Amino acid sequence: MSLGFLDPALLWGLGAAALPLLIHLFFRRRPRPLAFPAFEFVLRARRQTERRLKLRRILLFLARTLALAAVALALARPRAERPGVAAAVAAGPAATVILLDGSGSMTYRLGGETLFERGRREALAALTRLGPEEPVAVLLCDGGIPAAVAPSFDRAAARQALADARPAALYADLTACLAAAAQGLGQAPGQERLGKRIVVVTDLTAMAWRLDAPPPRVPGPDGRPIRPEVEVVDVARGAALPNLAVTGLAAEPDAAVGPRGYRITATVLNAGAERAAEVSLTLRASGDSSPPVRAFLDLPPGGSVRKTFSHAFAAGGPVLLTAALPADSLALDDQRSLSLQVPREVRALLVDGAPSPIKLRDEAWFVEAALGSAASPVRPTLIDAEALPSADLRGFDVVLLLNVRSVGTRGADLLAFVQGGGGLFISMGDQVDPDLANRELAGLLPLQLHLVKTAASRLVRIDELHPALAVFTGEAREGLSGARFTRYMLTRPAGRGEPPAVLAAFDDGAPALVEARRGKGRVLLYTSTVDRDWTDWPLRTSYLPAMQRFAGWLSGELDGGRSFAAVIDARESDTRRIEPAALTAWLGGSATARLDGPGGAAGAGPGVPLWSILLALALALFLAESALLA
Amino acid sequence: MSPPRPLLDPEVLARLGTLKLRVRSITEGILSGLHRSPHHGQSVEFAEHKEYAPGDDVRRIDWKAYGKFDKYYVKQFEQETNLRCHLVVDSSGSMGWKGRPERLTKLEYGAALAASLAWLLVRQADAAGLLLCAGEVVKAIPPRASASHLQPIVEALAAATAAGPTRLDAALDWLVEHAPRRSAVVVISDLFDGDQGLLKRLAQLSRRGHDVAIFHLLDPAELEFPFEEPILFTSMEDGRQVEAVGREVKKGYLALMTEWLAGLKREAAEADLDYALCRTDGPLDEVLLPFLARRERGAA
Repeated sequence: MSLGFLDPALLWGLGAAALPLLIHLFFRRRPRPLAFPAFEFVLRARRQTERRLKLRRILLFLARTLALAAVALALARPRAERPGVAAAVAAGPAATVILLDGSGSMTYRLGGETLFERGRREALAALTRLGPEEPVAVLLCDGGIPAAVAPSFDRAAARQALADARPAALYADLTACLAAAAQGLGQAPGQERLGKRIVVVTDLTAMAWRLDAPPPRVPGPDGRPIRPEVEVVDVARGAALPNLAVTGLAAEPDAAVGPRGYRITATVLNAGAERAAEVSLTLRASGDSSPPVRAFLDLPPGGSVRKTFSHAFAAGGPVLLTAALPADSLALDDQRSLSLQVPREVRALLVDGAPSPIKLRDEAWFVEAALGSAASPVRPTLIDAEALPSADLRGFDVVLLLNVRSVGTRGADLLAFVQGGGGLFISMGDQVDPDLANRELAGLLPLQLHLVKTAASRLVRIDELHPALAVFTGEAREGLSGARFTRYMLTRPAGRGEPPAVLAAFDDGAPALVEARRGKGRVLLYTSTVDRDWTDWPLRTSYLPAMQRFAGWLSGELDGGRSFAAVIDARESDTRRIEPAALTAWLGGSATARLDGPGGAAGAGPGVPLWSILLALALALFLAESALLA
Repeated sequence: MSPPRPLLDPEVLARLGTLKLRVRSITEGILSGLHRSPHHGQSVEFAEHKEYAPGDDVRRIDWKAYGKFDKYYVKQFEQETNLRCHLVVDSSGSMGWKGRPERLTKLEYGAALAASLAWLLVRQADAAGLLLCAGEVVKAIPPRASASHLQPIVEALAAATAAGPTRLDAALDWLVEHAPRRSAVVVISDLFDGDQGLLKRLAQLSRRGHDVAIFHLLDPAELEFPFEEPILFTSMEDGRQVEAVGREVKKGYLALMTEWLAGLKREAAEADLDYALCRTDGPLDEVLLPFLARRERGAA
């Protein structure tokens, strides 16, 4: 603890403390000489009272001196500050920005109240401590970067801003917020000569700081950038903030589990310094009749554990998955939810244009096998092309024309089927006559078929952002791009309607997968074969999921759920605290920064004004002086 | 209570220039308060002859003895006088002090008191003597009952100056040596004697048959200590100095003074000494009349 002064120039007034001594030395009353018969009595009386009178005189002198010194000190407006503050605090008034951390971790409950409530109180206290000549601005760092605000003298607005502040569940980048505060300090006109101070009220979680970024700078009196004075108020007062949090929840379809089977992975973090044993993790799904699943975890200090659950949903549709831990001080991350769209059953009509009794040569055998696999949500129905005229399309979500030479008179029906919301998949093969197909499927084909090209090629320009191909990212992309093609149908622009979207192309740029919307439905044109005649793709690992996703996409099942779950930013769950020395060093060391709180390099709390105490002390001393005189 | 008599007011006496005038004023005031002489009709019996010495009354020369021995002898008688009284007056430095200019000093007050007593004694055919004492016996006048004897006593008192330390034991030694016969001893002093055993010495004197009375003279300022301001107090007898703020030491001073006076009074009572505390601003008749009344009761 050290002492700082807002008006150090007034410390010259301390000279007044010497007045009692000067008066004693220069204005002392000279005693009147008197010859007195009862001299011995005076001598004895004086001896008896000498010690008491001497003490009284000393006390009187001290009371007068200290009272004057206290008044002089009070005029200089002192305040108690932490070690290192003396160098950090600018002499005189300072333009101030109070930066209040409103991130998710500030909802941590400590001592019966949230850290944010503490922080608001500290911020209000810091606001109260400011002198009337010190302009102030309030910034709330609650996710995103606040706009720079120049300090003003509108204290009511500053108080209202603090009163209205609410914490968010978002990640707060205090480094960026500090830069915004510094920018605001440099924007105020007429405040160039004032000191620059930023009061940061935060829980000092390490994730909020990026110490590799440049520290904040403000324009100095001569225009050159200087470090501002930064007071970091630790609302946790140095206390550790142990926290168990569900920081991640993900679900992936898992065919091994069965239809609508998923592999669900929850990530649990232990941000405390102690090992957490036998932590209960519960997974439940809204809208699912299955009972909650519970697991018990051992969490190392500062570490995280991933726990995987396998679950098959009884029915398709939107599901809200929730992984929950026992309640602790930070409630926001005790559970985490995930909105999931469990696919419904897709009814697919496979029209085999080149059937064969030999399965490997049957046009539809690979497709039927892919769509009808154990975990597939697609229920395929296979017919020959000759059966198409009599097929009832109303019972299907998707129709797949596999190397079909002609749809005959069902072209209009297919167009109506698609425009009514159905999906149509068209693949090529030796049975397809481009001119006939162009005529019969004129309103459906995304591109006009032209001629067959024989050339070794691979898929390129794969649109990984498309929902149908979104799974083929990373290593999975190799499964798609590794497929080799020896023959494919070249196309020409259809010349009318909405331009098609090319989802993948061959090496020479010829479209391989082309999508077009027709009414409420979709058409997907695949310019090679679904069997091994023109490509080896059916033997590749990517074939099965691709076919299932094509069917899902065309039926609308991949459009995604419309529900969502609001969760805390996982970074806010990591409540491990920053090393005070590192933060102080980043802020410029004790010359410009002070850390307020037991965990910091300095003590707790920003400077405490002492002038009222000193004035009270001076009054008490004057009263004591009067009592001594009486 | 009798109305105050202005002529006995010390401030009025202070304005009277000479001791004779003061004595006259005092004694007239005293006598106007007395109804009769306490002493009259005593007989005289021859005791012995004493060789004449200058100062002896020539009327008492035994001419018959002169005829026989061709030398002058003076007749000595038993009960020659009613009383032989030694007036012991302290003339030390401290006796010369007065708290206010208009007051008498303690020595002036004591001299007036002693002279008045001498006059009253002689008027009643008692013998009065004087011992002026200041560290040592400055002046010694043996007791005589003749009216002419008053002159040297008054002159000695009028000429007395306050100086030197208070050493009353020198006077007591003188009395032991020169007053073998039973007599009255009246001590007039402020008793600021460095010898703490003064009253014991007086008590011894009392046990030897002397009738001892003490007039303890103190100025009102010594009793009340009316000082508030810083004062450099100086001892009147040895020049020592001490600086003190009056209001700071007043309480302690008064406590010591009260304790001292109470001690004196108690010791005097225990030794059967006639003790009277006299403020120098008090009328002299208030001092003398009670004393004379006590003497009358004692004689009766």
